[in-house]
Amino acid sequence: MADPNKTSLWAKAATISVGLIVGLLSGWWAITGGMGGQNYSGWYGSAVTGSADAGPWLRARVAISGLLALNKSQAIYLTRKTDDDGAPLREECRYRVTGGPIPGQWWSVTVYAADNFLPLNDDDALSFDATEVARDEAGRWSATLAPTRPEGQAWASTRKAGNFDITLRIYQPSAAAQADFGSIPLPKVTRLSCGEKA
Amino acid sequence: MKRSVQLGLLFAAAVAAGHVGLVLFVPHFLMSVAAGRVSQDGAAINRFVFGPRTTQNSRGVVRPSPDLAYSTCAFDLSGGPLLIEAAPSPNAGYVSISVFAANTDNIAVFDTAQFPQGIRFVLARKGQATPAGERVVISPSDKGIVLDRRLAPNAALFAAADQARRADKCGPI
Repeated sequence: MADPNKTSLWAKAATISVGLIVGLLSGWWAITGGMGGQNYSGWYGSAVTGSADAGPWLRARVAISGLLALNKSQAIYLTRKTDDDGAPLREECRYRVTGGPIPGQWWSVTVYAADNFLPLNDDDALSFDATEVARDEAGRWSATLAPTRPEGQAWASTRKAGNFDITLRIYQPSAAAQADFGSIPLPKVTRLSCGEKA
Repeated sequence: MKRSVQLGLLFAAAVAAGHVGLVLFVPHFLMSVAAGRVSQDGAAINRFVFGPRTTQNSRGVVRPSPDLAYSTCAFDLSGGPLLIEAAPSPNAGYVSISVFAANTDNIAVFDTAQFPQGIRFVLARKGQATPAGERVVISPSDKGIVLDRRLAPNAALFAAADQARRADKCGPI
Protein backbone atom coordinates (compact mmCIF):
# COMPACT_ATOMS: atom_id res chain seq x y z
CA MET A 1 0.00 0.00 0.00
CA ALA A 2 1.31 3.47 -0.92
CA ASP A 3 2.56 5.77 1.86
CA PRO A 4 0.14 8.76 2.03
CA ASN A 5 3.01 11.00 3.16
CA LYS A 6 5.20 10.11 0.19
CA THR A 7 5.10 12.78 -2.52
CA SER A 8 5.11 11.60 -6.10
CA LEU A 9 7.51 13.05 -8.65
CA TRP A 10 4.56 14.32 -10.64
CA ALA A 11 3.16 16.25 -7.68
CA LYS A 12 6.55 17.83 -7.00
CA ALA A 13 6.98 18.85 -10.64
CA ALA A 14 3.49 20.33 -10.78
CA THR A 15 4.04 22.24 -7.53
CA ILE A 16 7.35 23.67 -8.74
CA SER A 17 5.85 24.64 -12.11
CA VAL A 18 2.89 26.44 -10.56
CA GLY A 19 5.19 28.10 -8.02
CA LEU A 20 7.53 29.35 -10.74
CA ILE A 21 4.62 30.78 -12.71
CA VAL A 22 3.26 32.54 -9.62
CA GLY A 23 6.76 33.85 -8.87
CA LEU A 24 7.27 35.15 -12.40
CA LEU A 25 3.87 36.84 -12.39
CA SER A 26 4.46 38.44 -9.00
CA GLY A 27 7.92 39.56 -10.15
CA TRP A 28 6.47 41.12 -13.30
CA TRP A 29 3.78 42.85 -11.25
CA ALA A 30 6.46 44.23 -8.90
CA ILE A 31 8.66 45.76 -11.62
CA THR A 32 6.14 47.18 -14.06
CA GLY A 33 4.06 50.29 -13.68
CA GLY A 34 6.74 52.95 -13.99
CA MET A 35 9.99 54.02 -12.42
CA GLY A 36 8.39 54.09 -9.00
CA GLY A 37 9.80 56.07 -6.13
CA GLN A 38 8.33 58.51 -3.67
CA ASN A 39 5.45 60.90 -4.22
CA TYR A 40 6.39 64.58 -4.31
CA SER A 41 3.18 66.60 -4.81
CA GLY A 42 1.96 64.16 -7.46
CA TRP A 43 5.36 63.70 -9.09
CA TYR A 44 7.15 60.40 -8.51
CA GLY A 45 10.90 60.00 -8.39
CA SER A 46 13.63 58.10 -6.62
CA ALA A 47 16.89 59.45 -5.27
CA VAL A 48 18.65 56.23 -6.22
CA THR A 49 17.49 56.01 -9.85
CA GLY A 50 20.49 55.06 -12.02
CA SER A 51 22.66 54.60 -8.96
CA ALA A 52 24.52 51.52 -7.83
CA ASP A 53 22.59 52.02 -4.57
CA ALA A 54 19.34 51.05 -6.29
CA GLY A 55 17.98 47.74 -5.07
CA PRO A 56 17.13 44.97 -7.51
CA TRP A 57 13.44 45.88 -7.73
CA LEU A 58 14.04 49.57 -8.46
CA ARG A 59 16.84 48.66 -10.88
CA ALA A 60 14.45 46.40 -12.79
CA ARG A 61 11.69 49.04 -12.79
CA VAL A 62 14.09 51.65 -14.16
CA ALA A 63 15.38 49.18 -16.78
CA ILE A 64 11.84 48.75 -18.08
CA SER A 65 10.66 52.35 -18.00
CA GLY A 66 13.84 54.46 -17.92
CA LEU A 67 16.82 52.50 -19.20
CA LEU A 68 20.09 54.50 -19.21
CA ALA A 69 18.76 56.99 -16.68
CA LEU A 70 21.40 59.18 -15.04
CA ASN A 71 21.99 59.31 -11.31
CA LYS A 72 20.85 62.35 -9.34
CA SER A 73 24.23 64.10 -9.45
CA GLN A 74 23.57 64.76 -13.13
CA ALA A 75 19.81 64.60 -13.58
CA ILE A 76 16.67 64.25 -11.51
CA TYR A 77 13.70 62.55 -13.15
CA LEU A 78 10.20 63.10 -11.81
CA THR A 79 7.15 61.62 -13.50
CA ARG A 80 3.44 62.08 -12.98
CA LYS A 81 0.43 60.33 -14.44
CA THR A 82 -2.30 62.46 -12.90
CA ASP A 83 -3.40 66.08 -12.72
CA ASP A 84 -3.63 68.04 -9.48
CA ASP A 85 -7.07 66.53 -8.82
CA GLY A 86 -5.68 63.03 -9.09
CA ALA A 87 -7.37 62.23 -12.43
CA PRO A 88 -5.31 60.38 -15.08
CA LEU A 89 -3.73 62.59 -17.75
CA ARG A 90 -5.71 62.07 -20.95
CA GLU A 91 -5.16 63.04 -24.55
CA GLU A 92 -8.62 64.59 -24.93
CA CYS A 93 -8.04 67.09 -22.12
CA ARG A 94 -6.14 70.38 -21.96
CA TYR A 95 -3.89 71.12 -19.02
CA ARG A 96 -2.05 74.15 -17.76
CA VAL A 97 1.37 73.47 -16.26
CA THR A 98 2.61 76.26 -14.00
CA GLY A 99 5.77 76.62 -12.03
CA GLY A 100 8.54 78.85 -10.80
CA PRO A 101 12.32 78.69 -10.77
CA ILE A 102 13.51 75.08 -10.89
CA PRO A 103 16.82 74.39 -9.15
CA GLY A 104 18.97 73.15 -12.03
CA GLN A 105 20.93 74.41 -15.02
CA TRP A 106 18.27 73.26 -17.45
CA TRP A 107 14.95 71.43 -17.34
CA SER A 108 12.34 69.99 -19.66
CA VAL A 109 8.89 68.42 -19.50
CA THR A 110 8.21 65.59 -21.97
CA VAL A 111 5.03 63.68 -22.85
CA TYR A 112 5.17 59.87 -23.00
CA ALA A 113 2.48 57.46 -24.15
CA ALA A 114 1.63 54.36 -22.13
CA ASP A 115 4.24 52.31 -24.04
CA ASN A 116 7.00 54.52 -22.57
CA PHE A 117 7.77 56.06 -25.97
CA LEU A 118 6.99 59.47 -27.41
CA PRO A 119 3.45 59.87 -28.78
CA LEU A 120 3.18 59.10 -32.47
CA ASN A 121 2.32 62.60 -33.67
CA ASP A 122 4.28 64.85 -36.03
CA ASP A 123 3.61 68.14 -34.22
CA ASP A 124 7.34 68.63 -33.46
CA ALA A 125 6.27 69.60 -29.94
CA LEU A 126 7.00 66.54 -27.83
CA SER A 127 8.24 68.61 -24.90
CA PHE A 128 8.77 72.12 -23.61
CA ASP A 129 11.87 73.27 -21.79
CA ALA A 130 13.45 76.03 -19.77
CA THR A 131 14.41 77.95 -22.91
CA GLU A 132 10.85 78.03 -24.29
CA VAL A 133 8.74 79.27 -21.40
CA ALA A 134 8.11 82.97 -20.78
CA ARG A 135 8.74 84.04 -17.19
CA ASP A 136 7.35 86.93 -15.19
CA GLU A 137 9.45 89.02 -12.79
CA ALA A 138 9.15 86.36 -10.10
CA GLY A 139 10.30 83.67 -12.50
CA ARG A 140 6.82 82.16 -12.76
CA TRP A 141 6.02 80.42 -16.04
CA SER A 142 3.14 78.62 -17.68
CA ALA A 143 2.82 76.05 -20.47
CA THR A 144 0.11 73.90 -22.04
CA LEU A 145 -0.37 70.17 -22.51
CA ALA A 146 -3.00 69.63 -25.20
CA PRO A 147 -3.67 67.86 -28.50
CA THR A 148 -3.76 71.18 -30.38
CA ARG A 149 -1.40 74.14 -30.33
CA PRO A 150 -2.41 77.02 -28.03
CA GLU A 151 -1.90 80.68 -28.87
CA GLY A 152 1.41 82.16 -27.76
CA GLN A 153 2.46 79.72 -25.07
CA ALA A 154 4.98 76.94 -24.64
CA TRP A 155 3.31 73.67 -25.58
CA ALA A 156 3.81 69.92 -25.52
CA SER A 157 1.49 68.02 -27.83
CA THR A 158 -0.54 65.15 -26.39
CA ARG A 159 -2.07 64.20 -29.74
CA LYS A 160 -2.08 60.38 -30.14
CA ALA A 161 -0.76 60.03 -26.58
CA GLY A 162 -3.84 58.28 -25.14
CA ASN A 163 -3.55 58.12 -21.37
CA PHE A 164 -0.12 59.63 -20.94
CA ASP A 165 2.44 60.68 -18.36
CA ILE A 166 4.92 63.53 -18.23
CA THR A 167 8.52 63.51 -17.07
CA LEU A 168 10.31 66.51 -15.62
CA ARG A 169 14.07 66.28 -16.17
CA ILE A 170 16.24 68.61 -14.11
CA TYR A 171 19.80 68.60 -15.40
CA GLN A 172 22.72 69.55 -13.16
CA PRO A 173 20.39 69.97 -10.19
CA SER A 174 21.42 72.04 -7.19
CA ALA A 175 22.95 70.30 -4.20
CA ALA A 176 19.84 71.09 -2.14
CA ALA A 177 17.59 69.50 -4.77
CA GLN A 178 19.79 66.39 -4.88
CA ALA A 179 19.73 66.12 -1.12
CA ASP A 180 15.95 66.45 -0.80
CA PHE A 181 13.59 66.08 -3.75
CA GLY A 182 10.86 67.41 -1.46
CA SER A 183 12.57 70.81 -1.47
CA ILE A 184 12.07 71.21 -5.24
CA PRO A 185 9.23 73.61 -6.10
CA LEU A 186 7.45 71.33 -8.56
CA PRO A 187 5.08 72.48 -11.32
CA LYS A 188 1.34 72.18 -10.89
CA VAL A 189 -0.80 70.48 -13.55
CA THR A 190 -4.33 71.91 -13.76
CA ARG A 191 -7.00 70.38 -15.99
CA LEU A 192 -8.68 73.14 -18.04
CA SER A 193 -11.18 71.23 -20.16
CA CYS A 194 -11.86 67.85 -21.74
CA GLY A 195 -13.66 66.54 -24.78
CA GLU A 196 -11.56 67.63 -27.73
CA LYS A 197 -9.63 65.01 -29.63
CA ALA A 198 -7.46 65.90 -32.60
CA MET B 1 7.89 15.21 6.53
CA LYS B 2 4.21 15.36 5.75
CA ARG B 3 3.31 15.51 2.08
CA SER B 4 1.43 18.83 2.40
CA VAL B 5 4.32 20.47 4.25
CA GLN B 6 6.81 19.23 1.69
CA LEU B 7 4.72 20.53 -1.22
CA GLY B 8 4.15 23.83 0.56
CA LEU B 9 7.88 24.37 1.03
CA LEU B 10 8.54 23.42 -2.59
CA PHE B 11 5.86 25.88 -3.73
CA ALA B 12 7.28 28.72 -1.64
CA ALA B 13 10.80 28.05 -2.90
CA ALA B 14 9.61 28.01 -6.51
CA VAL B 15 7.68 31.28 -6.07
CA ALA B 16 10.76 32.95 -4.57
CA ALA B 17 13.03 31.59 -7.31
CA GLY B 18 10.69 32.77 -10.08
CA HIS B 19 10.19 36.20 -8.54
CA VAL B 20 13.82 36.96 -7.70
CA GLY B 21 15.13 35.35 -10.87
CA LEU B 22 12.96 37.57 -13.05
CA VAL B 23 13.84 40.73 -11.11
CA LEU B 24 17.56 40.00 -11.45
CA PHE B 25 17.32 38.89 -15.09
CA VAL B 26 15.34 41.81 -16.53
CA PRO B 27 18.01 44.59 -16.24
CA HIS B 28 20.71 42.41 -17.81
CA PHE B 29 18.38 41.27 -20.57
CA LEU B 30 17.14 44.76 -21.45
CA MET B 31 20.68 46.15 -21.36
CA SER B 32 21.78 43.40 -23.72
CA VAL B 33 18.91 44.19 -26.07
CA ALA B 34 19.75 47.92 -25.95
CA ALA B 35 23.45 47.24 -26.58
CA GLY B 36 22.50 45.10 -29.57
CA ARG B 37 20.36 47.89 -30.98
CA VAL B 38 22.83 50.71 -30.47
CA SER B 39 25.73 48.63 -31.78
CA GLN B 40 23.76 47.68 -34.89
CA ASP B 41 23.64 44.03 -33.80
CA GLY B 42 27.27 43.96 -32.73
CA ALA B 43 28.73 45.57 -35.85
CA ALA B 44 29.69 48.74 -33.95
CA ILE B 45 31.43 47.75 -30.72
CA ASN B 46 33.94 50.10 -29.08
CA ARG B 47 33.04 53.05 -31.26
CA PHE B 48 30.48 55.83 -31.07
CA VAL B 49 27.30 55.64 -33.11
CA PHE B 50 25.71 59.07 -33.60
CA GLY B 51 21.95 58.90 -33.34
CA PRO B 52 19.64 61.03 -35.46
CA ARG B 53 17.49 63.76 -33.91
CA THR B 54 14.97 62.22 -31.52
CA THR B 55 11.46 62.08 -32.93
CA GLN B 56 8.22 60.26 -32.25
CA ASN B 57 9.70 57.39 -34.28
CA SER B 58 12.72 56.91 -31.99
CA ARG B 59 12.11 53.45 -30.52
CA GLY B 60 15.57 52.14 -29.63
CA VAL B 61 15.51 52.97 -25.90
CA VAL B 62 12.45 53.79 -23.80
CA ARG B 63 11.61 57.38 -22.83
CA PRO B 64 14.05 59.26 -25.07
CA SER B 65 14.28 63.01 -24.63
CA PRO B 66 13.48 64.99 -27.78
CA ASP B 67 15.68 67.81 -26.46
CA LEU B 68 18.91 65.86 -26.50
CA ALA B 69 21.28 64.47 -29.14
CA TYR B 70 22.34 60.95 -28.18
CA SER B 71 25.50 59.10 -29.18
CA THR B 72 26.22 55.63 -27.90
CA CYS B 73 29.24 53.39 -27.64
CA ALA B 74 28.47 49.76 -26.78
CA PHE B 75 31.69 48.67 -25.15
CA ASP B 76 33.48 45.37 -24.58
CA LEU B 77 36.51 45.54 -22.32
CA SER B 78 37.53 41.90 -22.77
CA GLY B 79 40.27 43.01 -25.17
CA GLY B 80 41.60 45.77 -22.91
CA PRO B 81 40.81 49.26 -21.68
CA LEU B 82 39.24 51.96 -23.85
CA LEU B 83 39.93 55.67 -24.13
CA ILE B 84 36.75 57.78 -24.07
CA GLU B 85 36.77 61.39 -25.24
CA ALA B 86 33.95 63.88 -25.81
CA ALA B 87 34.44 67.28 -27.35
CA PRO B 88 32.51 70.28 -26.00
CA SER B 89 29.48 71.65 -27.85
CA PRO B 90 29.46 75.23 -29.18
CA ASN B 91 28.50 78.02 -26.75
CA ALA B 92 29.16 75.78 -23.76
CA GLY B 93 26.03 73.75 -24.45
CA TYR B 94 25.32 70.91 -22.03
CA VAL B 95 27.29 67.72 -22.73
CA SER B 96 27.52 64.70 -20.47
CA ILE B 97 29.18 61.33 -20.82
CA SER B 98 27.72 58.54 -18.72
CA VAL B 99 28.85 54.95 -18.35
CA PHE B 100 26.38 52.13 -17.72
CA ALA B 101 27.37 48.65 -16.57
CA ALA B 102 25.71 45.48 -17.81
CA ASN B 103 23.25 45.56 -14.91
CA THR B 104 22.15 49.12 -15.93
CA ASP B 105 23.93 50.91 -13.04
CA ASN B 106 25.19 54.39 -13.97
CA ILE B 107 28.77 53.87 -12.75
CA ALA B 108 30.22 57.21 -13.86
CA VAL B 109 29.12 60.52 -15.30
CA PHE B 110 31.07 63.60 -16.37
CA ASP B 111 29.84 66.84 -17.90
CA THR B 112 31.31 69.90 -19.57
CA ALA B 113 30.50 72.07 -16.56
CA GLN B 114 33.24 70.08 -14.81
CA PHE B 115 35.40 69.77 -17.93
CA PRO B 116 34.69 72.70 -20.26
CA GLN B 117 37.56 71.78 -22.56
CA GLY B 118 36.16 68.30 -23.12
CA ILE B 119 35.83 65.00 -21.28
CA ARG B 120 38.53 62.33 -21.33
CA PHE B 121 38.98 59.15 -19.31
CA VAL B 122 40.04 55.52 -19.55
CA LEU B 123 37.44 52.80 -19.07
CA ALA B 124 38.86 49.55 -17.74
CA ARG B 125 38.17 46.39 -15.76
CA LYS B 126 39.79 45.98 -12.38
CA GLY B 127 43.33 44.67 -12.84
CA GLN B 128 43.80 45.92 -16.42
CA ALA B 129 46.87 48.07 -17.00
CA THR B 130 46.01 51.73 -17.64
CA PRO B 131 48.23 54.66 -18.68
CA ALA B 132 49.62 56.78 -15.88
CA GLY B 133 48.06 60.18 -15.38
CA GLU B 134 44.71 59.34 -16.96
CA ARG B 135 41.39 59.51 -15.12
CA VAL B 136 40.22 55.87 -14.87
CA VAL B 137 36.71 54.48 -14.52
CA ILE B 138 36.54 50.85 -13.42
CA SER B 139 33.65 48.91 -14.88
CA PRO B 140 32.20 45.98 -12.92
CA SER B 141 31.36 44.24 -16.23
CA ASP B 142 33.13 43.67 -19.55
CA LYS B 143 30.14 44.99 -21.44
CA GLY B 144 28.01 48.08 -21.14
CA ILE B 145 27.15 51.36 -22.83
CA VAL B 146 28.76 54.80 -22.87
CA LEU B 147 26.22 57.51 -23.63
CA ASP B 148 26.91 61.05 -24.88
CA ARG B 149 24.01 63.45 -24.24
CA ARG B 150 24.02 66.94 -25.72
CA LEU B 151 21.47 69.69 -25.41
CA ALA B 152 19.79 70.02 -28.82
CA PRO B 153 16.19 71.18 -28.42
CA ASN B 154 15.79 72.40 -31.99
CA ALA B 155 17.09 71.59 -35.46
CA ALA B 156 19.76 74.30 -35.47
CA LEU B 157 21.17 73.31 -32.08
CA PHE B 158 21.04 69.66 -33.09
CA ALA B 159 23.10 70.41 -36.20
CA ALA B 160 25.71 72.24 -34.11
CA ALA B 161 25.85 69.50 -31.48
CA ASP B 162 26.07 66.86 -34.19
CA GLN B 163 29.06 68.56 -35.77
CA ALA B 164 30.83 68.85 -32.40
CA ARG B 165 30.25 65.24 -31.33
CA ARG B 166 31.91 63.85 -34.44
CA ALA B 167 35.21 64.43 -32.60
CA ASP B 168 34.17 61.97 -29.85
CA LYS B 169 36.27 58.85 -29.38
CA CYS B 170 35.54 55.45 -27.87
CA GLY B 171 38.22 52.93 -28.72
CA PRO B 172 41.33 51.03 -27.69
CA ILE B 173 44.13 53.08 -26.15
